[in-house]
Amino acid sequence: MSGDPFAAPRAVDGRAPDVFKEGGWIPMRQYGEDEIVDFVVVGTGAGGGPLIHGLAEGGFSVVGFDAGPYFRPLEEFASDEQAQNNLYWTDERIVDGANPLTMGGKNSGKAVGGSTVHFAMVSLRFRPEWFKSRSLLGYGADWPLDWREMWTYYGKAERALSISGPVSYPWGPKRPRYPYRSHELNGAAELLARGAEAMGIGWTATPLATVSAPHGQSPPCVYRGFCRFGCSTNAKQSQLVTFIPRAIAAGAEIRDLAMVGQVEMGPDGRATGVHYIREGRWRFQRARNVVVAGYAIETPRLLLASATATFPDGLANGSGLVGRNLMTQSNQAVFGVMEQEVRWNKGPPSLAITEHWNYDDRKDFAGGYCWMAQGPLPVEWVTVQTGARGLWGQALRDEMMKYNHQVGLKMVGEMLPDERNRVTLADETDQYGLRIARVTYSWGDNDKALIQHALGQMQTSLEAVGATDIFRQEDDTNHLAGTARMGFDRANSVVNSDCRSWDIPNLWVCDGSIFPTTGGVNPSLTITAIAMRTADRIKALAACGEL
Amino acid sequence: MSRATAVATSGLAVLGAVALVLGERSNTAPQIRSNPIDPGAAVRAARRMNRAAGIIAASVLADSAVEHYRGSFHNKAMVAPLVTSLLSLAVSIHGHTDKRPVAHWVRDTVYAAAALTGLAGTGFHIFNVTKKPGGFSWQNLFYQAPIGAPAALTLSGAMGFLAERVRDTPPGTSPTIAGLPAGPAVALATSLGLMGTVGEAGLLHFRGAYHDPFMYLPVTVPPLAAALIGAAAIGQTHRRRPWTRFWLRATAVLGFAGSGFHAIGIARNMGGWRNWTQNLLNGPPLPAPPSFTGLALVGLAALGLMEDHPDD
Amino acid sequence: MTERYPGYDVLSKRWSASWNAQTRRVIDARLAVPREPRFFSAAEWRTLNAVCDRIMPQPTDRPAVPLAAYVDQKMAEDLQDGYRYAELPPQGEAWQRGLQALDAEALEAHGDRFDTLAPTVQDALLTLMQQGSMTGAAWAGMPPKLFFAHRILPDITHAYYAHPISWNEIGFGGPASPRGYVRMGLDRRDPWEAVEAKPGDEAAARRKNQNVR
Repeated sequence: MSGDPFAAPRAVDGRAPDVFKEGGWIPMRQYGEDEIVDFVVVGTGAGGGPLIHGLAEGGFSVVGFDAGPYFRPLEEFASDEQAQNNLYWTDERIVDGANPLTMGGKNSGKAVGGSTVHFAMVSLRFRPEWFKSRSLLGYGADWPLDWREMWTYYGKAERALSISGPVSYPWGPKRPRYPYRSHELNGAAELLARGAEAMGIGWTATPLATVSAPHGQSPPCVYRGFCRFGCSTNAKQSQLVTFIPRAIAAGAEIRDLAMVGQVEMGPDGRATGVHYIREGRWRFQRARNVVVAGYAIETPRLLLASATATFPDGLANGSGLVGRNLMTQSNQAVFGVMEQEVRWNKGPPSLAITEHWNYDDRKDFAGGYCWMAQGPLPVEWVTVQTGARGLWGQALRDEMMKYNHQVGLKMVGEMLPDERNRVTLADETDQYGLRIARVTYSWGDNDKALIQHALGQMQTSLEAVGATDIFRQEDDTNHLAGTARMGFDRANSVVNSDCRSWDIPNLWVCDGSIFPTTGGVNPSLTITAIAMRTADRIKALAACGEL
Repeated sequence: MSRATAVATSGLAVLGAVALVLGERSNTAPQIRSNPIDPGAAVRAARRMNRAAGIIAASVLADSAVEHYRGSFHNKAMVAPLVTSLLSLAVSIHGHTDKRPVAHWVRDTVYAAAALTGLAGTGFHIFNVTKKPGGFSWQNLFYQAPIGAPAALTLSGAMGFLAERVRDTPPGTSPTIAGLPAGPAVALATSLGLMGTVGEAGLLHFRGAYHDPFMYLPVTVPPLAAALIGAAAIGQTHRRRPWTRFWLRATAVLGFAGSGFHAIGIARNMGGWRNWTQNLLNGPPLPAPPSFTGLALVGLAALGLMEDHPDD
Repeated sequence: MTERYPGYDVLSKRWSASWNAQTRRVIDARLAVPREPRFFSAAEWRTLNAVCDRIMPQPTDRPAVPLAAYVDQKMAEDLQDGYRYAELPPQGEAWQRGLQALDAEALEAHGDRFDTLAPTVQDALLTLMQQGSMTGAAWAGMPPKLFFAHRILPDITHAYYAHPISWNEIGFGGPASPRGYVRMGLDRRDPWEAVEAKPGDEAAARRKNQNVR
């Protein structure tokens, strides 16, 4: 039975879609709006999903909200870039600053499962020193988390997501073996490896959240290459096919097509629940605790929009930092043409990676970066050709003909926190009547120095493998972080190490917003590890009556 | 597991058991005879070994055809294992029907060529692995040319060649190979062959993360059989070895059951059999497991040789 | 220019294991885009078509991708990107103002509407816009450079490369589910992928491409 996931909510009438069975359903517990549930979690992505699951398993009553639809991957994910834009947050945001950010598919999903439905599955651990960036490396800020504890939670996250990774990982302290073996390298990845070897730096098969052998109801990856447009194989271990079904099995409720517009505050300075719009009607869910897990734009947007007379600057904003210290990661690339056919679209985009410059400190700039192989599909590729080179006309068509011979290396680079980079509320409103977000961003000098270093290195790598027609993509960014940072005290941060806001004891933030620094790796695994830890911390706090 | 593949598995296992029984039909009385030497025993053993070599050759033919097709025959030499394994299969069938106690020069030549082609293949595969970035790494062992696969062709040729030596026994004497008693020699070859095949299966099942507990079977049952037949090779020849026989038979059945399991694996991959143009190539190799069957049958033939000629 | 992948047609795989039902539905809808404008006025439509012809010139010996129709559809159905530069109005308004401004510039510089001018003249105007060198009042504060970079280029080129005809041109494998790819290495091709014609080898490539499924 097919239907339109956007037409009406699916997680209703005591059931939710079974993502592993076409047209199937799984039973789902539901809570009444007048029922006071223990936890409302706003957002079901890399941070929300594991938290909803962990809390439900811990015996709490949990309702997870998502503004997005509940997709059925097997039947509904088409092999088509354009059609699959429906995975992204395409509602308007205004971008400005010296270096306005690209949003949409670069960093913003809108679906049950959040951005993990469209992410490229790169699952990396932080370098341990980054948790003490300021003390140990002299930049950014320290995290109030110990890397050794995070190392344990990374292991749990990797097991929960059946990460397929290399038998031994070249960088960082020892880690347990990845649950599944790494994937085969495609031609694009082989070229990264050869380039790295020529430069004398290490490389490895990328640890990816898609399985290389059957796992449960997930078949192994078929290397179709549409990863960022939704995995119709269900090999990809997004939240939609991992933590969310497990959370529902443990008694959680998920409400899809439910946009939370405001967190309600009580007279005692505690949150009392959330206002949300579903099927055209505003509703209210009562809760003992509210967790905001909408990622780095929607989380501050909601906290700011929920301002009251008592909290005129928005909720949990005693520090004034809600929405501030927005960080993205540099995502520049170098591209070239090979004599051989590369056909880079076969398989996940980034099958090989080098983290050399995350661990080598012989740099005259702060922070680190990695680079990975690339495999853009045609629409994404023409965006690079027009954006980076300004090509159009016959010249563009001629360049695009080289598609099957292209090779590329793309970085994920650390950008430093700057309070001027921020999310604020614009006066325009969206289709729900809510003020939309304004995202202001400018690169700093350190960011620019890091980017130029990386571009030089990536170019050297491509030259080393004999690529020609090499060009640079000088302007691209992706993942977000920082707008509700975690810290040691209420003056300089929004939440503590338990992701609990300093100002409002029953208001939590559990997503990439809490990052004090962004590191030189994709953030999703760190977000998930922190979410799993937060679930454990909440259980511990509840056990000693500190909730 | 779909009904179709469950039926397929059982069917293959039954087929394997039947092949086993047929293969051993001539070995009616596993008693030790101390005299006189049965003139037909050598030929019977040799024909058993021809059949076993044929099973391995059939497995190699199908497996190398699929895998080299997947490799787009990018090197012209990649047709060699298809040709030699096909010939090896043909002469094995011929050997199976041939009851004369004389080695046949055509069979000898083909078996020798198969053995040598397998060795060359191993060299090619090692080169293929080491020339990729990372050289001799887990990544390349998993995904480049399988290092152990050509050895199956070598084993088919070697076992067939040994079959001819066993057949070529002057009447009234015990079979020897290069002066050594044939039974223990073939038993030792079986043991080594089994361990090599275990290594290859174990490597690829490791790549599959042993996601299904049944994947442990080829790294538990055949090693046990290999240990037992190896012990038989160096031990006393006049002993009866029911456990060795049992575990060799279990290995033989496992070879066919393995194909059944691999069929389940193909069905379980995305698109199942409908996506056969991908899954027959990407999925677990259907024709590979029966090389265990062939090797186990050689081992059983060796046991028969040792029991027929206990004083050697 | 000779075709790089002669005879290759992604649509020939429509019923193969490389396409699923949802993909067929989506591509069918793509191919059935309404050809008449629902958003743009007649004048804007004329200018838009002329702009599309310059941004993505197409060969005349095969069906053309109706680029203007896709841009119109995007505006009519308000399919948004999820972000808007602060200096640009919402996409529909941006397009209307930009097309009108372009015509005003054409009138000012060459005495006639954009769509009547010679292609080289049209290209020159578009280049001026790309460089941000247009200053007519009709822009009303919308920076021409941003309009060109963030509306003209992406909306038109995305429409082209989201169409099967463009995939044939560049030899893209196209839809891939449930069947993905087996041979992932350099210079390796699955039988259901396009064959690139080596110089002098077009006939053989065409034959192989016609058998792709």
